[in-house]
Amino acid sequence: MGDVDKWIEIAKRCKYLPEDDLRQLCDIVCDLLKDEPNVQPVQTPVTVCGDIHGQFYDLEELFHIGGQVPDTKYIFMGDYVDRGYYSLETLTLLMALKARYPDRLILLRGNHETCQITKVYGFYDECLNKYGNANAWKDCCRVFDMLTVAALIDETIFCVHGGLSPEIAKIDQIRLIDRNQQIPHKGAFCDLLWSDPGDLKKWSVSPRGAGWLFGSDVTEQFMTLNKLNLICRAHQLVNDGYKYMFDKRLVTIWSAPNYCYRCGNEASIMEFKTVNDRNAKIFQAVPDSEREVPPQHTTPYFL
Amino acid sequence: MAASDSGTDDSLYPIAVLIDELKNEDVQLRLNSIKKLSTIALALGVERTRSELIPFLTETIYDEDEVLLALAEQLGNFINLVGGCEYAHCLLPPLETLATVEETVVRDKAVASLRAVSAHHSPQALEQHFVPLVQRLTGGDWFTSRASACGLFSVCYPRVSAPVKAELRENFRSLCQDDTPMVRRAAAYKLGEFARVVEVEYVKSDLIPMFVTLAQDEQDSVRLLAAEACAVVAALLPPEDMEQLVMPTVRERAGDSSWRVRYMVAEKFVDLQQAVGPELARTDLAQIFQALLKDTEAEVRAAAAEKVKDFCMNLDKAHQEQIIMTMILPQIKDLVCDPNQHVKSALASIIMGLSPIVGRQNTIEHLLPLFLTQLKDECPEVRLNIISNLECVNEVIGIQQLVQSLLPAIVELAEDTKWRVRLAIIEHMPLLAGQLGQEFFDEKLTGLCMSWLIDHVYAIREAATLNLKKLVEQYGASWAETNVIPKVLAMSREQNYLHRMTYLFCINVLSEVCGKDITTRVLLPTVLSMADDNVANVRFNVAKTLQKMAPYLDPAVIQPQVKPVLEKLNVDPDVDVKYFASEAIAGIAG
Repeated sequence: MGDVDKWIEIAKRCKYLPEDDLRQLCDIVCDLLKDEPNVQPVQTPVTVCGDIHGQFYDLEELFHIGGQVPDTKYIFMGDYVDRGYYSLETLTLLMALKARYPDRLILLRGNHETCQITKVYGFYDECLNKYGNANAWKDCCRVFDMLTVAALIDETIFCVHGGLSPEIAKIDQIRLIDRNQQIPHKGAFCDLLWSDPGDLKKWSVSPRGAGWLFGSDVTEQFMTLNKLNLICRAHQLVNDGYKYMFDKRLVTIWSAPNYCYRCGNEASIMEFKTVNDRNAKIFQAVPDSEREVPPQHTTPYFL
Repeated sequence: MAASDSGTDDSLYPIAVLIDELKNEDVQLRLNSIKKLSTIALALGVERTRSELIPFLTETIYDEDEVLLALAEQLGNFINLVGGCEYAHCLLPPLETLATVEETVVRDKAVASLRAVSAHHSPQALEQHFVPLVQRLTGGDWFTSRASACGLFSVCYPRVSAPVKAELRENFRSLCQDDTPMVRRAAAYKLGEFARVVEVEYVKSDLIPMFVTLAQDEQDSVRLLAAEACAVVAALLPPEDMEQLVMPTVRERAGDSSWRVRYMVAEKFVDLQQAVGPELARTDLAQIFQALLKDTEAEVRAAAAEKVKDFCMNLDKAHQEQIIMTMILPQIKDLVCDPNQHVKSALASIIMGLSPIVGRQNTIEHLLPLFLTQLKDECPEVRLNIISNLECVNEVIGIQQLVQSLLPAIVELAEDTKWRVRLAIIEHMPLLAGQLGQEFFDEKLTGLCMSWLIDHVYAIREAATLNLKKLVEQYGASWAETNVIPKVLAMSREQNYLHRMTYLFCINVLSEVCGKDITTRVLLPTVLSMADDNVANVRFNVAKTLQKMAPYLDPAVIQPQVKPVLEKLNVDPDVDVKYFASEAIAGIAG
């Protein structure tokens, strides 16, 4: 515990760990995740959060609003890295908290938690830049491949990064997925992390090029069959921080305020005291005086 | 060091590796070898570093900027590796080349290294090696070398002979009149620094004319830097020359057609005020300042607004009040309603500081209405800035007056939608508590303090508990028992688990200040009863709380009451409950 507590302290200051310590942390987290099922059961009270995307100071704000770990239990629905300035520090903090309080912090996998995507959208470059080599990134990718797919709160609220898949009718089918791999380009596993709800009834091709648009009827079917109350998912920017669809049967939660430091959107987290007593907490980006913007690098071509 | 006559293979090896790596295709490898340059120089020894390594580097400078940047930096710390001060000049050739490259970052680093190296030159060496380098750069064909030259005058000028000094001043003049704005910009930027080391008579005869020309440059980016240098130059001159040599430029630049220049004048205004002295500040600057506060550009107004307090404070005491009341205050009244929120926010950050300067009567009469307006501003930052500076007004007009006029606004802010505003208010509660007295506080504010405990933002709840502790410290345990604890105890039975958690957080801090009796008699039983809570987060906070309150409990209850509960938590199904229970057991035992 001594090391982990030390790492949490470092990560909370928006600093990253020495390469060897990060590897150790990744090993610890991998060991923990290995024992988690694909659909992790969770009890209320719990707070559900959406995309973070490396916005470290806004994650700090999230904890100010929602409470610190372990006093508040969280489910994060993926997309911790890429786009923001501090993917590495964000992931480090979340992993360190996971290592210290495995039952208080559930980390789901987002479509960005995979090698190919992080290579394009910033996390790989950030690691290379901060460590001078790709080892740290490789270690983190090991963790990504172990992250669990979904969470089920009190057996009635289903949490997943993207949405539904035409190949998944029963939640039990998710339990059978071999998740220890890179996110495939198609199939059930890919859909769960890539799909979006759409203004239609059944299924349609997703403009993202992966996953599906799923409609109100198929959602209702899935919920009835699995005796669900609500689906929580992230994956899409929503301006007010959260957005209900399908007669309040599904909610999109987004936790990166002023996304990419320019979208001007609000963010939210959803606090479930019980299954029926929930409360969305809106928050804004941290004022600039409370964050640090890293200096620009002189030689981007060098990366 | 003489090379050994037999096998030179060994001693050549390091440089061979270096050359090898310097030619490698991978930038990273080239960069690594540059960063290890000092090791290689150490291996070669001083003589071969001078005779082989440095010439080699000078000739092969042609690489990615990242590598050049590293090289420029390394060479600045190379003095000892080439044999000390005596040989410092060996480092000049490669740095000279680096000072001419296209990339600004590399050039700046090379100039920084040259400046560092110059300090190790003897006066003779300066004249023999360094000054010619400066002059070569000054006469360079390409603007990069001339721009670099500007930064080197101030380091060599003080230590060379009079004729050389005259030459250098002449060289600097030519840079100030350069055709390219980049060079004039560099010259304007370094002018202040150079002026500091030049004798006053030459500042007047040589530098001031250059300064005046630069301040009238056709490019606003040059005028801007000249405006920045203004305060530095002014500070060097005797008071009697100020009117003639500096003030015309100040007046012109404050009315410059480019807002960036006016902004710079506003930004440097207090420095300028101190440099020109109280007389001119009163007769001339006050008027200029007034105009800047009315500027058409919000950026300029904001920069000037930020300086209001310091400017007023530095005015000479005899005229201070009169100038503030007649010239500055009317502008401030306008700024309070400025359409731009940055301007209002800048003003709000300093306006309270005017109170001590203008005194009680003026504050009540003129400033209080302005504070009130700003306290109700739609922009949270403005409100926050006002609240954060309450104490400076408090000292001047006293708490009663302050409360009468500001309390309603403060209470309103206590329910502001921005949590940082609420937080700022909470942080001022202990101060208000200390000055208002218990009775008044109970009447107006205790209820507010309790309501923050159930705020929906965690950080507010946390601050609210700390606030309670500070209040109890001031008003004492019996006040706590009648006014605070009953309300807090009620929270332990709430449906909402967050309130139950907050109750425990309160107990954590209150047990420190409530004394053994209340803690054991009143607080402990509730904490113990919560060990059966159905939420694990509450249960492990019971364990944490018991550990924290143990030192403040009657020792007689630890074994019969506290221990059994912790033992039970220690076999809880939740791992975190178990962990904190075992921590508590160990903590209490130890």
